[in-house]
Amino acid sequence: MQTSFSADQLRDPAIADADRVLRTCVHYGFCTATCPTYVLTRDENDSPRGRIDLIRAMLERGGAPEPPTVHHLDRCLSCLGCQTTCAAKVDYARLIDVARAHIESNFRRPLGDRLLRGFIARTLPHPTRLRVALRLGGFARPFARWLPGRLGAMAELASDRARAAPGPAAGVYAAAGERRSRVLLATGCVPSVLGGHVHAAALRVLRRHGCEVVVDADAGCCGALSLHLGREREARELARANIAAWAAHAGDRDAGGVDAIVVVTSGCGTTLKDYGRWPGGEAAARQGALVRDVTEWLDALGVRPDGSVPRYRVAYHDACSLQHGQRVTEAPRRVLSAAGFDLHEVPERHFCCGSAGTFHLLQPELSRTLGKRKGGHVDAVGADIAAAGNLGCIVQINRHAATPIVHTVELVDWATGGPRPEALAGMALRAPRTEAVPPAHTDHPISPPAAGGDVGVW
Amino acid sequence: MNQTSLESFFSDVGRALGTAGVNRSAETVRRYAEHTMACGDIVPSGVVYPASTADVQAIVRAAGRHGVALYPVSTGHNIGLGSKAAARAGQVVVDLGYRMNRILEIHDKLAYAVVEPGVSYQMLYDELVRRGDKLMLDVTSGPPQGGMIGNALDKGAGYTPYFDHFGFSCGLEVVLGNGEVLRTGDGALDSATLANWHTSKYSFGPILDGVFAQSNYGIVTRMGVWLLPRPPVVRSFHFTFPDDSDLGTIVDLCRPLKMSNFVPTLFRVANDLYLCGSEGESPEYAASGGERSISDEGRRALRAKHGLGAWTVSGAFYGPSVAATEPMIQRVREHFGQGGKATYIDHADAPRHAALQVAINAFSGVPSLGELGLLKWRPGGGNLWFLPGTPMDGAVANEFQTICRRIYEAHGLDYMVMNVCGPRFARGLHVLAFNRESAGERARADACYRAMSEAVAGRGVFVGRAPIQYHDHHMAQTMASYRDTCGAIKSALDPAGVIAPGRYGIG
Ligand SMILES: Cc1cc2nc3c(=O)[nH]c(=O)nc-3n(C[C@H](O)[C@H](O)[C@H](O)COP(=O)(O)OP(=O)(O)OC[C@H]3O[C@@H](n4cnc5c(N)ncnc54)[C@H](O)[C@@H]3O)c2cc1C
Ligand code: SF4
Repeated sequence: MQTSFSADQLRDPAIADADRVLRTCVHYGFCTATCPTYVLTRDENDSPRGRIDLIRAMLERGGAPEPPTVHHLDRCLSCLGCQTTCAAKVDYARLIDVARAHIESNFRRPLGDRLLRGFIARTLPHPTRLRVALRLGGFARPFARWLPGRLGAMAELASDRARAAPGPAAGVYAAAGERRSRVLLATGCVPSVLGGHVHAAALRVLRRHGCEVVVDADAGCCGALSLHLGREREARELARANIAAWAAHAGDRDAGGVDAIVVVTSGCGTTLKDYGRWPGGEAAARQGALVRDVTEWLDALGVRPDGSVPRYRVAYHDACSLQHGQRVTEAPRRVLSAAGFDLHEVPERHFCCGSAGTFHLLQPELSRTLGKRKGGHVDAVGADIAAAGNLGCIVQINRHAATPIVHTVELVDWATGGPRPEALAGMALRAPRTEAVPPAHTDHPISPPAAGGDVGVW
Repeated sequence: MNQTSLESFFSDVGRALGTAGVNRSAETVRRYAEHTMACGDIVPSGVVYPASTADVQAIVRAAGRHGVALYPVSTGHNIGLGSKAAARAGQVVVDLGYRMNRILEIHDKLAYAVVEPGVSYQMLYDELVRRGDKLMLDVTSGPPQGGMIGNALDKGAGYTPYFDHFGFSCGLEVVLGNGEVLRTGDGALDSATLANWHTSKYSFGPILDGVFAQSNYGIVTRMGVWLLPRPPVVRSFHFTFPDDSDLGTIVDLCRPLKMSNFVPTLFRVANDLYLCGSEGESPEYAASGGERSISDEGRRALRAKHGLGAWTVSGAFYGPSVAATEPMIQRVREHFGQGGKATYIDHADAPRHAALQVAINAFSGVPSLGELGLLKWRPGGGNLWFLPGTPMDGAVANEFQTICRRIYEAHGLDYMVMNVCGPRFARGLHVLAFNRESAGERARADACYRAMSEAVAGRGVFVGRAPIQYHDHHMAQTMASYRDTCGAIKSALDPAGVIAPGRYGIG
């Protein structure tokens, strides 16, 4: 795509970046078919190509953006489904970040919007504030269905998770048996409040598989939440604090450095892996390179089930941040299969569930429509359990599907000697299938046909 | 088509379909005009979104009343052949995929599916997996969001035994140019229950299905697709050959394996750039400013980097177990080993090469994105497919290689080809990747296409499918009586000429 930025505009590194990305878009249009908002609305301005055009016009013109432009860019989930499908490999992630930062600095939103976004930005990345807010929000929860759009969504978030189990305390936890590696378990901000049980499961699994695990008290939000709200400066500050807090761990192994920074919430993982692109120098790049999703690390270590958990049917949901942001699709499947589960694919796996960071709070209607669609697909699988690698997806799917959903690592923990996941407590699960598994026929393992009634003879 | 009649058409359609059925926004119209071909954008008058066969009838009748020309697309991913763009500017795009995207039936016992136009390969694949993964759909190695109806009607193809997408479709529902609905095959029986509509292709009377492929005689609203029982094991094999001229040897080696159907899949015989092109951009484009084809040294370096040959041949066996396929693998290794030039890459090793994973997916009926990387070989988004074929005779295949390679080079473009080989015939998928933003390169791509088309036609070879930009050009290459017959059918089925005038050079 041709652009027409002035030399003066191009001196701004963000605009120069945007210009580079915009020029790579050649309008093939593969992206539109996988963009959730375009599929729902068929409005060109709600498609990746349409948004790219809007961003180009907004940045070329400079100054305050038009309200319709802001409207359509706000409705982008940052799911990056478009980026996976794009044959021209357009770096849409970078482009939408630049656009959001431009809107944030140049557009005066209506008062309600400003208050809500300010509240989110000042609360979610800070665990203590978030805990207080959730406790207060808990009181509003019974009224959630009567509260209008975004307020209702906020109240819903303050679910009974506000009273969720705390995560592991800071410290260094020894490997069970022979030490095979030393890792840092990143606990983050929202995940540290809502995902204590997931961190505890990850800690157990990692130790059981020979990892010495460092749980760190000083690190906080990775910056993703602020970044997606267009608050680039705040995002950078949070990232800088994180990088500083982890500097010692990311150093030389002989001096206590870790082999990997393990993340259980893929939304954070995507941003953490990207630290190399942020102006944080070599330390940031080194840290970014160390980041692994927990399933990637377990896949490398080799999962060792103890055989005590039956072969339940598990529907695996690909979180966008894992499949599109990090391109990690095989490791979670291999890990679940290795743990002994009967793995099933969810139809329309490339499609976002509508949680998308803070999207479900800011665009509750679209989020709900997508949540229902995903929930329907998850239930249609007919699995006993659903699994995902991102907390946001788990909360969203839990809301819209009848199938109980847990974090992938909770299942691996259970299958390797840990407790039954909390979300499955007291639930009667079907007797699993017993027939043998033929070898996988594709790049990822898919369950074999049910016994009996085969259509063909081989 | 004047403005008043257009306005009347859109208001009639709006009344019949509701406001959600019509889109004339400037952004939408601009987008549906885009494509990857060597000509300028083809701007339609608007887009309509039917939700049912009755809606399609209403649209066609309104078009007939007001003299408006329509252009139907299903999933609209006809990349390199026209995308969503209409045959001529000003036509109204009937985008069937948005609201007519239901899988109407999957018959697990008789192994077929019945779909509406918007059902994509990915959607049907997902649904089949959800139902236990017992049935396998033949897919293309192109866009997973492309679909069965649009692809079959354009005579698209895949790579498994059910590769011939029109051949393995069974039973159409078509809205004709006069607004009437026609059911083909056994569906023609005037009955409320139709037992064999999607199980028997040849029924009483003439086979009408064929006239709706690569034509403009009707709008298809429903189609049956046959499915193959999924084999428990798909085991691929791949051989690389070092020299361009090895194509002849490969073709002669593939022929007997397909003649007896010892190998159940088609063979994908791809040259170095077709495979390496999916994995990166041309390393020499910037230096030559797109003026020259990539050098032989450049190609050799790419082959070394990716561990692939001047030609690489891929196929697959199906079987009940890995062990059961072992003797067949041994047999095929001995066969390709004759002459000592082939290097074997086995199934387990192949996925290290992203381009070979594309082949494995295609043989396994799994839609995937891998091959779309081809489009990025040169910047600027230009892509045309030139689709002639050769008899499965090595000497002839080599002769066509020499001719086309020379024409590509004369136009400063890069020879990127995959020959898809059956027993008697190989379709040569020639990719023209060019910078559509450069007027010079666009003109060279156009001239290259036309030169190849003339050169092969001069030797008795026709194309099997073509970018819409060249439909008139190719129709002009046919004999007069063929053109007259096509015209006569058009007059009979679509007397007002409302459906896609110009598509495949008809009407
Ligand atoms: C890298 C790459 C690889 C590819 N590989 C393959 C391959 O392996 N095999 C292959 O076949 N193609 C391949 N293609 C070409 C093309 O992208 C696919 O064929 C694609 O499936 C066609 O688009 P579609 O299915 O969305 O059909 P559509 O675009 O919906 O339809 C194609 C055309 O058919 C007509 N049509 C569609 N629906 C109707 C209807 N209901 N009634 C009447 N007429 C209708 C229209 O003229 C339309 O333009 C490839 C393309 C690329 C870029
Ligand atoms: S990030 Fe997701 S919602 Fe946004 S344009 Fe891309 S596909 Fe659409």
